[in-house]
Amino acid sequence: MKCHVPGPNVKVLGRTVHALARFGDELYVESLADCVLLRTLNAAESAYAVVKFSKNFFSYFNYNYYSTEDNEGLKCKISMKSALHTFKSPTHMDKQVENLEIKLDPESCKLIFQLRCKHGIVKTHFVSILDCKAMQAVYTKDLVPNRITSPHKILSEALSNFQSSDDQVTVEVSSQNMLLRNYIDTLADLSKVIRTQVTLKPAEFDGYTIGADTMITFTLKEFKALLAFAEALSLPIQIHFETTGRPVVFIVHNGSTFEAHFVLATSKADNASQITTQNTTHNERTKRKDVSSSNHSARKKPNLNTDISKCLEEDSHLFNFIHIPEEHPVAVSTDGNVGNNNPQIENNMDCDVILPSPTAKALIRRVFKRCFEQTIDLTNIQGTVLAEDSDPDT
Amino acid sequence: MDDEMSEYYFTASMDSGKTLCSLLKAIQFQEFAVFCALAEGLKLTVEEGKCVQASAYVPADNFTEYHVRSDVDVMFKINISVLAECLNIFGSGEESSLKMYYRCEGSPLILVLQPQSVHNVMTDCEISTQTADSVLELRDEDTSEVAKLVLKAPAFLGLLADLERSCDIMELKLSPEHPNISIITYGMQDRSCIDMPKSSEMVQSFNCTHAVTLKYQLHHIRLIMKALAVSTKVVVRCSSNGLLLLQLKLEKEDQRQMFSEFYIVPLLDD
Repeated sequence: MKCHVPGPNVKVLGRTVHALARFGDELYVESLADCVLLRTLNAAESAYAVVKFSKNFFSYFNYNYYSTEDNEGLKCKISMKSALHTFKSPTHMDKQVENLEIKLDPESCKLIFQLRCKHGIVKTHFVSILDCKAMQAVYTKDLVPNRITSPHKILSEALSNFQSSDDQVTVEVSSQNMLLRNYIDTLADLSKVIRTQVTLKPAEFDGYTIGADTMITFTLKEFKALLAFAEALSLPIQIHFETTGRPVVFIVHNGSTFEAHFVLATSKADNASQITTQNTTHNERTKRKDVSSSNHSARKKPNLNTDISKCLEEDSHLFNFIHIPEEHPVAVSTDGNVGNNNPQIENNMDCDVILPSPTAKALIRRVFKRCFEQTIDLTNIQGTVLAEDSDPDT
Repeated sequence: MDDEMSEYYFTASMDSGKTLCSLLKAIQFQEFAVFCALAEGLKLTVEEGKCVQASAYVPADNFTEYHVRSDVDVMFKINISVLAECLNIFGSGEESSLKMYYRCEGSPLILVLQPQSVHNVMTDCEISTQTADSVLELRDEDTSEVAKLVLKAPAFLGLLADLERSCDIMELKLSPEHPNISIITYGMQDRSCIDMPKSSEMVQSFNCTHAVTLKYQLHHIRLIMKALAVSTKVVVRCSSNGLLLLQLKLEKEDQRQMFSEFYIVPLLDD
């Protein structure tokens, strides 16, 4: 592969690498006949990101510059640290860098990033290739009932209300409004945690289609990283999701040269501890509403329902774990139980499927659950005894 | 006047202690500096592990008054952060005139500071001194200079700031052929290379007769970054034994020179 990135696009590429660095430690680079794909996956395999740069993004593009006999492009894995070092300061990059050339050195097995900067300075980074594999995830972004198109500012402003210690966020959607609240660990001391909840009205968004009311919980670290990415490039975010347990897909694209998909695993929010938050800290943000509704018509994005060109084929089972919670009888019961956050753990150990990001288990409550129940159903107990008492008389 | 002065080993006065203070901060990577008052000017020297020697040099013409007794060596060790703090005693926004006195060996260095905006206020600082250790003589008169280049300090600082922090070794290649200047760093698995032709805007002059390749500890090179930040240009001299001398000219309004210089010892090939 050999390609040239013009100066202004180097900044976009730099921002992309910085966003991907918040997701995973390794960067997969793949060149196809008409595009370059950058992918990453986090260690827990609960977050995945892919960014596709089309041919037009580059001023020169040849996907198999060296290999002539086969039509294979480049497929490799490099360390994210090396990639980050190449794009050290993306904010100044467009001012200093005139041109970036990326090419593969087939002899030394290095990926070469050559930055031509102002003052005639040439910076060359020889990055070692760790592996020659490509990686893909399978997920659905089309055919999902819930689609929201949001200007980049709305969500980051909403998130600025959260504490820096919060690590997960629960999004509850209905056709009337969207609730964002911090996810509270069931083991945490409830008298010490701060609960935050932000309500957003559909009018705040450029597009708001909710086919099925639902509630999803996902990690904040990656969410913030992708919001920062959208903000740096001043592009809107499309959110496609189905229900809890299914991945949520965030799409940022500029319509012509690049398209980024950020996929996060979702976990089931814990009803018992979360529901009480509704009235205690209701954080209505009426003030900002006026501001955004006035300018939201100006940048309305009409393409909510248009299908974005498919850049991912379905040949792996990553993200295909997707068991809808109702399939698991353990998970759901009516008495506000708290110990069922991770129902899929038992039957997911065997293959290459991945778990949703884990939520806390209230072990004590699970063990002594019966103490909290008002009535004891004896038949239920007898049904579950697997080993009899060794000495029934005592 | 002269009779009164002669009882002091060293006296000096200056309209503003500010530039002296920023020069001191540029070399402040050790706690103690050797304060040396020569007839030509004032020199403060710090050393790191016998590998790096940094000096702040203020020629005598920067002072409104400058007297050193010619019959004695005025040389002592002083805490550099205390000295910088005293010079800045009225805050960084305040210009203050400065007088320095040093009576004899073992006596403290006395600073008298007077802010320019407020009348009838002055501070008297006494900083205790220690007997100086000997200062390394890194310069070897027998070796010849193989390369000399003048670079713009801000651009050079930007370049050094971009080098990978985790690297230990920096290789400097100077050559009369293109690319004239190469800086190579070796990371865990990766190699980075910065090439700069002598026609580059940040290179003000370039003199090199034959190609040289020298290796330095990147950590040592990084020590000059604080000084680069307050300088306008840097003169890099390479001697045939690999010793690197960097002279950094301080940013100043008037024409009088004040500079810091760094001697950096190369790594030997193994």
